[in-house]
Amino acid sequence: MVTKTEESELKNLEIQVDNGGGGAWEYLSLVRKLKVRRSDKVLKHGLSILNDSKLRSKLGADEWTLYEQVAVAAMDCQCLDVAQDCTKALRKRFSESKRVGRLKAMLLEAKGSWEKAEKAYSSLLEDNPLDQIIHKRRVAMAKAQGNISGAIEWLNKYLEIFMADHDAWRELAEIYSSLQMYKQAAFCYEEVILAQPTVPLYHLAYADVLYTLGGLENVQTAKKYYASTIDLTGGKNTRALFGICLCTSAIAQLAKGKNKEDKEGSQLQSLAAKALERDYKQRAPDKLPQLTTALKSLTLSS
Amino acid sequence: MGSNDLKYEVSQNAYIKLVLHSLKHPTSAVNGVLIGRISSSNDTVEITDAVPLFHSQIPLLPQLEISLILIEEYFSTKGLNIVGYFHANERSDDFELGGVAKNIGDHICRYFPQAAILLLDNKKLEALKKSKSSSAIMQLYVRDASKNWKLVQSDANNRFSLKEPSANVILLDYISSEKWNDIVDFDDHLDDISK
Repeated sequence: MVTKTEESELKNLEIQVDNGGGGAWEYLSLVRKLKVRRSDKVLKHGLSILNDSKLRSKLGADEWTLYEQVAVAAMDCQCLDVAQDCTKALRKRFSESKRVGRLKAMLLEAKGSWEKAEKAYSSLLEDNPLDQIIHKRRVAMAKAQGNISGAIEWLNKYLEIFMADHDAWRELAEIYSSLQMYKQAAFCYEEVILAQPTVPLYHLAYADVLYTLGGLENVQTAKKYYASTIDLTGGKNTRALFGICLCTSAIAQLAKGKNKEDKEGSQLQSLAAKALERDYKQRAPDKLPQLTTALKSLTLSS
Repeated sequence: MGSNDLKYEVSQNAYIKLVLHSLKHPTSAVNGVLIGRISSSNDTVEITDAVPLFHSQIPLLPQLEISLILIEEYFSTKGLNIVGYFHANERSDDFELGGVAKNIGDHICRYFPQAAILLLDNKKLEALKKSKSSSAIMQLYVRDASKNWKLVQSDANNRFSLKEPSANVILLDYISSEKWNDIVDFDDHLDDISK
């Protein structure tokens, strides 16, 4: 997960390199550090460094890291011969390395030889049962083959060992959501919120899942999490503001007989609505009329 | 005439927008709504435009509701309705219409009973670069009497057609010029409302 400053730094470097302004190595290092997926750019710029022997020798020992990065990017872009060449170069240098063994298995996976890749990964795991990347490749393979229940099983096993891997919890939550198993998805988000309570993204996703689950209690809790998202983002998160409006009208519909929450709920909703209108006025004035009508229809139905 | 006999015609504008949207996000599922109207002769549903919706968090309800409300508002002033739903699966070999897509389709059907779902056919998309076919690279699903979504065979009856037969040529042109970067979907809008 990338912060806004990191994202803009990355974008600036990307534009600079794309337009021939140099700085390719800095860009590639930043991509590696942030673990973002920019495979076509990595492939293009990485290859331009590797194919130029002067630039390559300047890198020194980092050359091999670059080979690995380009190999993975090539596999993502389905340029398997490039990936094969990089892996060969690495194998020549580090013939007994587990990392190279992992690349070889990934190459099998990229080619679609699922069984061979599965065997390779299993044997690598026997020697090194705590290698996170290999575990994740297994889950990815199951998902790619359409074996969603297998992917869920592997991912659950992985999380039993590596409980602190938030990205894995998020992936599991997304898989559950796509299968409409919203309760399980909510559980995953609860785990990450416990671990990282100051990340607004998780609060937002949790609130979304709760709203989708439905039912008065869930929607009320969802409203609380939308509110905490707004708190954590200083009121700038459009989705959370919309979420509050939706929740309030849903609660009003679901709780037609009870009068307790009315005043407090409608205050929050009108605050959220005002904030949305202010935002749209400032940044997207041509969309304001639709927003106003939409908000009115939400308050009317409450 | 029941919805069994309705024809569906997709305009180039809508068609290209939807395919470019899925190409912009090749690693995730995407979806969108189809906008249009029933033709005056009451036998064709004309899909004149499309609004790309999301490329993440698709199965979740809140943003879907907001987007449908806002879209309905915007287009009803122009006399158009939401007439269908578009979906492209995450994996290139997944040709099934998933549960989420069906649910959203059902929801749209409540407001527009002849709504259709279009599913991107990835095989045809790949083949497009080699062949010069002019047929649409999507599959059409309509609801039959028992409320199940059924695939309409693309060759029979010509029920699903592209309004302008040159749409695929223009699509290829846009693909090679990477025009998908100009596509802004609802997800992008929610992240930055100036888009």
